[in-house]
Amino acid sequence: MLTNISSLSRLVSEFKKLPGVGERTALRMAFHLLKSPSNLTMLSEALLEVRDRTHSCSVCFALTEDDPCSICSGNRDHKAICVVENPQDMMAMERSNAWHGVYHVLEGSLSPLAGTGPEDIRIDELLKRVSSGNVEEVVIATNFTVEGEATALFLTKLLRQHKVRISRLAHGIPLGSDIEFVDAATVQWALQGRNEI
Amino acid sequence: MRGNPEKVRGIVLSAFDYGESDRIVSLFTIEHGRVKAFARGARKSRRRFGHALEVFSRIEAELRLKVGLCNLQEAMADKTFIGIRSDLAKICNAMYACEAAECMTPEGHPLPRFYRLLSSYLDHLDSEAATESDRRFFEVNMLNILGYRPRLDGCACCGAKFGASGAVVSARGELVCKGCGEGRSIDAGAISLLSESLAKGRFGVVRFAGEELMQAGVLLDSAIAEHAGKRLKSLEFIRQNRF
Ligand SMILES: [Zn+2]
Ligand SMILES: [Zn+2]
Repeated sequence: MLTNISSLSRLVSEFKKLPGVGERTALRMAFHLLKSPSNLTMLSEALLEVRDRTHSCSVCFALTEDDPCSICSGNRDHKAICVVENPQDMMAMERSNAWHGVYHVLEGSLSPLAGTGPEDIRIDELLKRVSSGNVEEVVIATNFTVEGEATALFLTKLLRQHKVRISRLAHGIPLGSDIEFVDAATVQWALQGRNEI
Repeated sequence: MRGNPEKVRGIVLSAFDYGESDRIVSLFTIEHGRVKAFARGARKSRRRFGHALEVFSRIEAELRLKVGLCNLQEAMADKTFIGIRSDLAKICNAMYACEAAECMTPEGHPLPRFYRLLSSYLDHLDSEAATESDRRFFEVNMLNILGYRPRLDGCACCGAKFGASGAVVSARGELVCKGCGEGRSIDAGAISLLSESLAKGRFGVVRFAGEELMQAGVLLDSAIAEHAGKRLKSLEFIRQNRF
């Protein structure tokens, strides 16, 4: 049936490209939008607007509409850079309200298995920022996956050649969890990184 | 293959996120060799999966076998190799071993000897420094177990025994006598270290160094390129970044 309505089937196939959306959900979304033409107009305008207005910040590579982004041009501690893999990670750091420095988004992580090397992510740009001389501290907040760890190790090696304090986010037991149910590796990391109180 | 869930032990060769909450993993199990499995909810359920589904983790898992994509119901890390994860060269070598396993082993075919080789390489990397010598030891044993053992006692073409003058490496990754082919030459010393690697079952016992390391490398690189059928990305990474 759907194949007879090619514009609708095109919309459904576009929805299906989105993460976590299968055929049924895609159809439901499409029919929901069809119920009101104004829904369709607003969605299409929003899509075009986000395409035309967003880009990455020329300093930190965060997703932004202005350049430099509001964090880079704002009243933050510019001597401290927090390095993250992608804009979503940066948003998570911002939600914590615990970081008052600026960011550097790598736009990926090193992955020997995927063939992503140092030249494929924003490492050179980070080193340029650090060697400009105004940076005193770099906090590496890449993910705790093997790729994130590889990236952190690689960055540490390069950053040691500069006069900056380097730190890595602590590995630990998730808040609100029973140690009994935490996996052995996390417990091992948490013990290694324990703090004196 | 189809049936009830069963307990398996294996090493994660690769793992990719799928959609919002799932993961697709490739495992090398003792029981069934290499299998691909779908782990529903792996990114959300800490209780069922913890952080087990990451490349080169050794896991115990509950697997429902199916043709094509198996179902992974539960997985627990037996060892996540923190020693490897703390060193970039070790990470690269461990990933290379997994990638080689991924593209050189057949699917659904139990190869317990290969499992033991891979597992002991990871154990060795976890506690000792990553060296090219150990990688070569892994490679020659891998080729042997998978049935691609290069003939080391004589020419692959005419069968003549190699004398003290050694042999040359053919374009297909075989050793041939100097009368049968042209290529990079390999000395008797390197050939005997390769034979010794096959005789000794433990990492760290055979040491390739200097010229012999280089020559054995030429043979192993071309033999692996011949049988892998594609370029291994992690190997390129190791070469480019000199790990
Ligand atoms: Zn910025
Ligand atoms: Zn010959």
